[in-house]
Amino acid sequence: MRTSHSVRQQQPVNMAGVGFQRLAKALAKGKGSGLSALVSGCRAASGATKDSLPGAYPKTPEERAAAAKKYNLRVEDYEPYPDNGEGFGDYPKLQDRSQHERDPWYKWDHPDLRRNWGEPMHWNFDMYLRTRVDTSPSPVPWSTMWKQLFGFVGFMLFMFYMGEKFPSYQPIAPKQYPYNNLYLEKGGDPAKAPEEVKNYEI
Amino acid sequence: MADYREAPLATRPKTLDPNEYFNLSPDYRRAEEERAALRANLKRQYQLQLNNPHRTELIEDPALTRWVYARANPYPHFRPTKKTSLLGVMFGVVPLFALYYIFKTDRDKKEEMIKAGTLNRKFSLSY
Repeated sequence: MRTSHSVRQQQPVNMAGVGFQRLAKALAKGKGSGLSALVSGCRAASGATKDSLPGAYPKTPEERAAAAKKYNLRVEDYEPYPDNGEGFGDYPKLQDRSQHERDPWYKWDHPDLRRNWGEPMHWNFDMYLRTRVDTSPSPVPWSTMWKQLFGFVGFMLFMFYMGEKFPSYQPIAPKQYPYNNLYLEKGGDPAKAPEEVKNYEI
Repeated sequence: MADYREAPLATRPKTLDPNEYFNLSPDYRRAEEERAALRANLKRQYQLQLNNPHRTELIEDPALTRWVYARANPYPHFRPTKKTSLLGVMFGVVPLFALYYIFKTDRDKKEEMIKAGTLNRKFSLSY
């Protein structure tokens, strides 16, 4: 009995490779040749399905209703971006309000983002975060603020430009030196008589 | 409550909007109730997953997935129109030629000045 066992096991077997060989045989059951024989043609049913992802612009009312349901919006509330080829597809157009404006005291699912789970996100959500753009109402209208700022800056620039063009300072003249413009100090010949320099007028 | 004025930099919360309390039409009420029903359904789904003691994985948010997918794949919905082509040319083609022209002329002028010896090349530590 024991001798027949040892007689069968004559070929040396690499134990590490046996499992891999069995796995390869199991995977290669698919039809086709090459890589498609090894890779199976089906995938798991978990994760996002194809029809829960954004699609093309909805043209018929049924498509609109389906898109509204997909994005968890009411059919009347659902308004896609206009179809002018800018790449939005059927993504809904939400109000351009930043997360700053949302109620800070409500118990959001994600308090730092002030957002509930499953809520449709604005296209520019990453711009409207609480660390970035803020669309809160301002104490004074924006036009007034712009006018005040640019009015002041423009006025200052204009006045500085005028100051460059028409400088105003005390009258000055080049410095006048005595002793015939310092004839001897500048290395003039003491034997020769210097030319007379008159720096004044009476 | 009638004389409530919101803080200078805050929007008025929905619960303090006078339209929520006066002159309510049945249509408005129905609309608000539908929205509340949608919200409550989402809240319920989230809470079930959140408080599930057997859950070991992260809670996946399909709205987030859709947003990321929409932002990353605008190409199938792109169409060359007047506006999109104009934008593409303005941001992609014009800077190329304009910057080339500007830099070339500036550098050529500088080269001429250097050759003529008129360029003031003073030594400066910071610039």
